[in-house]
Amino acid sequence: MFLAFKEIKREKLRYGLIILMIFLISYLIFMLSSLAIGLADENTQAINSWDAKKVVLNKNANISMAQSVLTKKDLKGIKLGKKEAIVGQTPIVAKAKGRPSTSAQFLGVKKSQFIYQDQDLISGHKAKKASEVTVDQAFKIKGYKLGDKISLNDSTKKYKIVGFVQGAKINIAPIVYGRLSTWKSLREGMTNVEASGIISQNANYKFNQHNAKTYPIKTFIDKLPGYTAQNMTFELMIGFLFAISLIIIAVFLYILTMQKMHNFAVMRAQGIPSKTLVGATISQSIILVVVGVVIALIAMWITALILPASVPLLFTPEIMVIGSLGMLIMGIIGSLIPIRSILKVDPAKAIGE
Amino acid sequence: MTVIELKDVDKFYGKGTAKVEALKNINFQANKGEVVLIMGPSGAGKSTFLTIAGSLQKPTSGQILINGENISEYSNKQSNNLRLNKIGFVLQAYNLVPFLNVHEQFVLVDKVKKQNNLSKADLQKLLEDLGVTKLIKKYPNELSGGQQQRVAIARALYANPEIILADEPTASLDTKNVEEVGKLFKKLAKERDKAIILVTHDPRLEKYADHIYEMMDGKMSKKK
Repeated sequence: MFLAFKEIKREKLRYGLIILMIFLISYLIFMLSSLAIGLADENTQAINSWDAKKVVLNKNANISMAQSVLTKKDLKGIKLGKKEAIVGQTPIVAKAKGRPSTSAQFLGVKKSQFIYQDQDLISGHKAKKASEVTVDQAFKIKGYKLGDKISLNDSTKKYKIVGFVQGAKINIAPIVYGRLSTWKSLREGMTNVEASGIISQNANYKFNQHNAKTYPIKTFIDKLPGYTAQNMTFELMIGFLFAISLIIIAVFLYILTMQKMHNFAVMRAQGIPSKTLVGATISQSIILVVVGVVIALIAMWITALILPASVPLLFTPEIMVIGSLGMLIMGIIGSLIPIRSILKVDPAKAIGE
Repeated sequence: MTVIELKDVDKFYGKGTAKVEALKNINFQANKGEVVLIMGPSGAGKSTFLTIAGSLQKPTSGQILINGENISEYSNKQSNNLRLNKIGFVLQAYNLVPFLNVHEQFVLVDKVKKQNNLSKADLQKLLEDLGVTKLIKKYPNELSGGQQQRVAIARALYANPEIILADEPTASLDTKNVEEVGKLFKKLAKERDKAIILVTHDPRLEKYADHIYEMMDGKMSKKK
């Protein structure tokens, strides 16, 4: 550690440039990871807030609740406990005077069931009448206020916003919570329609009858439009960044090591053991990565504070820990590449040169 | 007292027509308190002699005795320990760690060799003898050739070795500095009871030597 610190202190520009590279890569990893987690969260935050374990949908709906329709016949004989809730989902465009039109998902729910009861309100109250709705806080960010009256799609009927709900997004769209009867009225022309699906908090819940089929929640989430492709794209980019960081650290340390071979030969001639030189190289890599990552963490924290709330960025402790550890592991692996050269240094080369 | 002795040492490189006989039947010894010069032109085998005597290479045949113990079959680790504890090297140029200041050059020795180094008072005395006390915070690239050489000598002596092996210690020095370094080696050998072996082609050092060996085409003969 002594040699590592002293060399970095003496060669500030050289090592500063390596730290800059590590900082930029770490920052990019944190940024992409935060965006990936943020977007994934906006896809699933409502589902997570329901603590859903199983979902019953029409088996021909391609595991999409917005496409699913369950009729009275499908639901005949169904037993619903405290952990089950019937929902009706449909895409809508919400409009209010003086406010921007907002694409959203309408979720019709029953007052007696947990999805209605467990709404996490940040202001206002739950809808008590059929003409009242609660909406995701994204509406608040867009300028909507409690008491605003919104219309849904082409309907002339107005619904009063009585509450803003936290964590109420599905597939990135904000949710408008209303009555199941309102959902039915929005699905004009479809008779005998009872619901889009049934959400259960019971991991063992099962209801397979006529067209109804039960799916694990993970299967349902993975089938959310664009969700898996989006996550895989981010994972690929983050993976490539880790690989690039490994290559950069390895190449820089290898070049620096090659430049120091004569010094190493002199030190070996003087009896300084190889393990001291190897330890110095690994320590150097750890110091460079730690400094670069800490700067990136601070920069990312400031970025997360500055960026507008509409940017789906979620900089979580998990990202900090996993990203930092990932970079550290890449740094240590990178520093192992020049070690073979250090171990092969011939101290006799120090003589007569 | 004989501290280092080479008996019938050969060192060959390559095979067949490419065979190079770098050292041929070398017999050599140096005692504590003596300055011994190994002289000869370039290519005579002086550097090879130094690497064999300093346990940086193994001889093809023959024995190297340090305090009577044969070290010619030592493992790398044993050789390393030997160099750390018993042999001090003073190399030609760039032999100080470039990113450590003068004080830190000694700290590095402390880091790898915990015992039997000079005490703080002894180091201070040594630095005064060498005239480098005021250079303690300087980095190697801030020192002149003569100053670097004196610091290198101080570092070699700091580990308190019995033998000092110096490779062309006056190569980059002017006559005034050569005289100073010569006197210094003589003084250190006597006062600190070290065997100082200087490999050089610089005749200006001859007057400071107790013994002089000449090397030519891998063979060694005693001149003085």
